[in-house]
Amino acid sequence: MSVRGTHIPEHLRLPIAGVTPPPTEKEGQRLFPTGNFRFFRPVYRDKTPPCNHACPTGEQIQKYLDFVKHDRYLDGYLTILEDNPMPSVTGRVCYHPCETACNRAAHDEPIGIRSVERFLGDFGLNLEENPIKKDLPPLNGKTVAIVGSGPGGLACAYHLRRKGYASVIFEALDSAGGMLRAGIPAWHLPEEVLDKEIAKLTGLGGIEIRCGVRVGSDPGGITLDHLRTGYDAVFLALGQDVGRRLDVEGGRSRGVLGALEFLRETGLGRPVKVGRNVLVIGGGNTASDAARSAVRLGGGEATIVSLESEDELLIVPEDLEQAREEGVRFRPQHSLVRVIADGEGNVTGAVLCQARLAKDENGNVRPQISEGTEFEVPCDTILIAIGQVQVLDWLPESFTERGLVKADEYGRVPDDSEAVFAGGDVMRGPSMVVDALGDGKRAARDIDRVLSAQPLEPDGPVEVMPYERLNTAYFRHAPRTPVPLTPAGTRSKSQKVEVTLAYSREEAVAEADRCMSCGVCNGCDNCYIVCPDISVMRDARENGRYSIRTHYCKGCLVCVQECPTGCLEKVPELDFDEPDAVVRMETAFAPYDGAHAEQAPFTRQLIEDAIAEYDRSKTVQPNGRGVTP
Amino acid sequence: MTSVHVDHGLTSGAPPRLAPAVRTPDGEKFLNGMAGTRIRQNGCAAAAYAALYANVDVITAYPIRPYTAIMMNLAQFIADGILDAEYIHADGEHSQFSAAFGAGSCGARAYTGSSGVGVTYGYEMYSIISGARIPIQMAIADRTLDPPGDFGSEHTDALCTRDMGWLLGWAATPQEVFDKSLIAYAIGEDPRVLLPQMVVQDGYFVSHIAGEVEMPAIGQVESFLPPYQLPFPLDPRRPVSHGPQIHPEQGPPLQLERARAMEDALGVIREKTDEFAQVFGRKYPHFVESYKLDDAEIAIVISGGHSVTCRAAVDRLRAAGVRIGMARLLWIRPFPTSDLQEALRGVKAVGVVETNLGLGGASYGGILSLDVTTALYQMDGERPLATSFMAGLGGETVPMSEFEWMAGKLGQAVARGRVEKAAHWVGFED
Ligand SMILES: Cc1cc2nc3c(=O)[nH]c(=O)nc-3n(C[C@H](O)[C@H](O)[C@H](O)COP(=O)(O)OP(=O)(O)OC[C@H]3O[C@@H](n4cnc5c(N)ncnc54)[C@H](O)[C@@H]3O)c2cc1C
Ligand code: SF4
Ligand code: SF4
Repeated sequence: MSVRGTHIPEHLRLPIAGVTPPPTEKEGQRLFPTGNFRFFRPVYRDKTPPCNHACPTGEQIQKYLDFVKHDRYLDGYLTILEDNPMPSVTGRVCYHPCETACNRAAHDEPIGIRSVERFLGDFGLNLEENPIKKDLPPLNGKTVAIVGSGPGGLACAYHLRRKGYASVIFEALDSAGGMLRAGIPAWHLPEEVLDKEIAKLTGLGGIEIRCGVRVGSDPGGITLDHLRTGYDAVFLALGQDVGRRLDVEGGRSRGVLGALEFLRETGLGRPVKVGRNVLVIGGGNTASDAARSAVRLGGGEATIVSLESEDELLIVPEDLEQAREEGVRFRPQHSLVRVIADGEGNVTGAVLCQARLAKDENGNVRPQISEGTEFEVPCDTILIAIGQVQVLDWLPESFTERGLVKADEYGRVPDDSEAVFAGGDVMRGPSMVVDALGDGKRAARDIDRVLSAQPLEPDGPVEVMPYERLNTAYFRHAPRTPVPLTPAGTRSKSQKVEVTLAYSREEAVAEADRCMSCGVCNGCDNCYIVCPDISVMRDARENGRYSIRTHYCKGCLVCVQECPTGCLEKVPELDFDEPDAVVRMETAFAPYDGAHAEQAPFTRQLIEDAIAEYDRSKTVQPNGRGVTP
Repeated sequence: MTSVHVDHGLTSGAPPRLAPAVRTPDGEKFLNGMAGTRIRQNGCAAAAYAALYANVDVITAYPIRPYTAIMMNLAQFIADGILDAEYIHADGEHSQFSAAFGAGSCGARAYTGSSGVGVTYGYEMYSIISGARIPIQMAIADRTLDPPGDFGSEHTDALCTRDMGWLLGWAATPQEVFDKSLIAYAIGEDPRVLLPQMVVQDGYFVSHIAGEVEMPAIGQVESFLPPYQLPFPLDPRRPVSHGPQIHPEQGPPLQLERARAMEDALGVIREKTDEFAQVFGRKYPHFVESYKLDDAEIAIVISGGHSVTCRAAVDRLRAAGVRIGMARLLWIRPFPTSDLQEALRGVKAVGVVETNLGLGGASYGGILSLDVTTALYQMDGERPLATSFMAGLGGETVPMSEFEWMAGKLGQAVARGRVEKAAHWVGFED
């Protein structure tokens, strides 16, 4: 009969019905490689989460949230320190562009990133030893001069130190911190916190801050040339600490003050007199901070008079809400016409009129006054908060443009030395602490490149993970953990009591747990579990510790579908040409012309070789018989 | 005889069993009370009783006439506490057979069944189940395939599946249904075979017509058909992979193994049929029932219930001096080539009763004659002439007169030394 005399060659002998040992984590399906079925391959490619992308320092937010989730606070803290030297500061005052960009907003509410950052920052601030100190490289003998000890200058010094450079920071004021001390009120950022953050930096060794030194303009003092010749590179982070003046009748009366000057004196702990009926002119954060400090110091009332309508106010939403709770009043779409003073030159009132915000073609504010709407209000103090400038007349003209220091895409100022950089408000105009921190970080990187004769290169393109590419079925809706606040009644009576309070450990962990880890593997094990072919391997449940066994994965892409974070992608198999790749089935990728798909050269060769070998084995021998092994 | 190649240490040592098959106290009482009695029951009931005696673990059902009565009987057994089995009412035949397959893969003795278009609806599963070598049993009470919507018997449904690697046996009486169900399990579960089985009975002619069926003692059944033991069950305690994806070159050896198992089953069928006779005292031919063939000049080859009429027709024709005999096929897969050759040796002309449709086939008639003529063509020495008769389609009976008409055609062929054509449509020709 038909099967009589059949034999199965040894190499093709299979167990009955192909019943095989169970695939194991190590072995997979040893007997039956299935990789040649594959048209697409799952590939782990971490992308940039939008939060990370939006943070000017590039904080790896997803990563430290993941550490917090797993109670690994020191790891989380160290992760932040890679990019941002002062998380206790940003954790309190940053305007958190990260949260604005957070994908979770499209899901329910953005992650309270700043509060978790503060939690980690304060965790680190309370450590006895600065944990990065022991791993710092030795100083390399080069020293950079930095002008300005605001966040820009401090960040630059910090990142330079991490690369082995010493720095000297020149600061015009008597204490360090720039606007962190002389602008941002203590009820936002307590002095002790700032002092500790700065001490942490100077404690690293190699960072010297010389206060009371105004570069350039002090007679007989330090000049730009001193810096250019005495140091290996220069970083200008001067900020903008001169308040713009408002030229109105009576503007020089006693009781009319620049808001910046008012906040600076307060911040530096000097006595400042403020009345019980305060008008603040301006529609931004400085106006809000000044009004709220005035309420605290004078114990009276403060009204913000702005050209901006309520919707146009440039005050961050939570500050606006807090100001309202504290009793700050608003008179939007008004302008100051004239200050009324008594016989001794003391302010007694102001004439206001209706007005609208308008700008000229250069973007400068040009109020549109409604004639005939003037009226009088009583007041005893007027704080002007209509913008900031900086005195730059000591810098070469080529360095400046429209009141700012001019720089190329790397923050480099046009100077023959090619080693003068700038950053922060003096380069950008009024912006944010975190912008200055980011500029400081980038300047340190580029100064290092210049000093070690490497070319300056722009950052490579990044792929930002959009919400739509997450598998959101995996993310339960959960409300954002509210940030605790001191009750308005209590806080509005004190210049010291912090307005915004910290997350508890439990709250920080709960909030971190909401993070969807956009585009970044967080070791959830889904791929590992769902693969029907046991082709996903891992040695630890952690990012970057998974791999695909290409000899067995047949490209069903279940893992890609079920990856919550979207870090797994499908990539066409023809994009790969590695030497140990699986041989494609001829039927899947025919090597011949006119076939339906093209084959990678390496795999094509494998098939050609196999055909040649087969032909050789069929060669007719002298006895007339073909030899088959 | 080759034996299946089982290696990798996967099947050495005693494989784990699920819970041992236990009969319920009521079941035991019921069957003990039944032992040795003869009860009148139709083919469906006989099949259900056989499954009860076989103590099946899992039953998967989906209703379709006429086999439904089998499942109704089994459901009643379970409801009455006589049978302890998992009864799965599936959402269609494909899932019905899949569930039985899954149960069998885990080591359960699984039982399923269908009729007509139900049989064809689950077609995908046939090759999968036999390829996985899972010996589940399927009862078929055959039925025409649509169109028209016809409940009558026809063998086409089961014959369509003949090449899918299942043992395919035909029973002609309720008693034979009962016996064959037990014998088929014993053959299919034999480690030398490991193939699923179809036990077919003619719809209505057998499934719904009562005959006497002898009820054995439990001990008899258990000595003949011990508890099911798959050598490689899916079991978390000793994991194995079933149904792996393979390289193209690994397909042919697996198919050859399955072909070998089919051929090896021939010997096992002989063995088990003999063993059955010893235990139960009913002796069946291994493959072919030869009726008055010894000196026959012409012969009818047939399967299933119409053989009852055929036997009577042979007697009548013999009385009229016609040297006619009948060969009834008890198994169609594996096809008993040599047994049929032996049975028909010396016969001059053979006519195959088709009772099925093989549209556009070599004979332009039915399916069965293709196998029969191939077997005859391979015969040593003188070969009989062969033709076939399309009869009993759509649930029609094949009356005595039609058998006589067939005998006439065969007699003519002998006289002329050749057949008129390969297939005759009985009732549509002169
Ligand atoms: C009232 C106020 C509140 C703010 N609140 C927030 C907030 O809550 N969150 C936020 O993100 N941002 C806030 N900002 C903006 C933020 O403070 C600035 O964007 C940031 O401080 C800019 O940092 P910087 O390093 O560029 O400059 P600065 O912080 O301004 O520091 C510059 C330093 O350089 C010194 N300096 C200047 N010229 C010389 C010189 N010639 N020689 C030596 N030293 C010199 C200055 O004294 C100053 O200390 C606020 C700003 C103001 C004014
Ligand atoms: S520094 Fe600001 S933007 Fe960056 S992570 Fe912290 S809160 Fe977000
Ligand atoms: S969910 Fe997490 S990873 Fe995604 S944007 Fe928000 S903080 Fe970043």
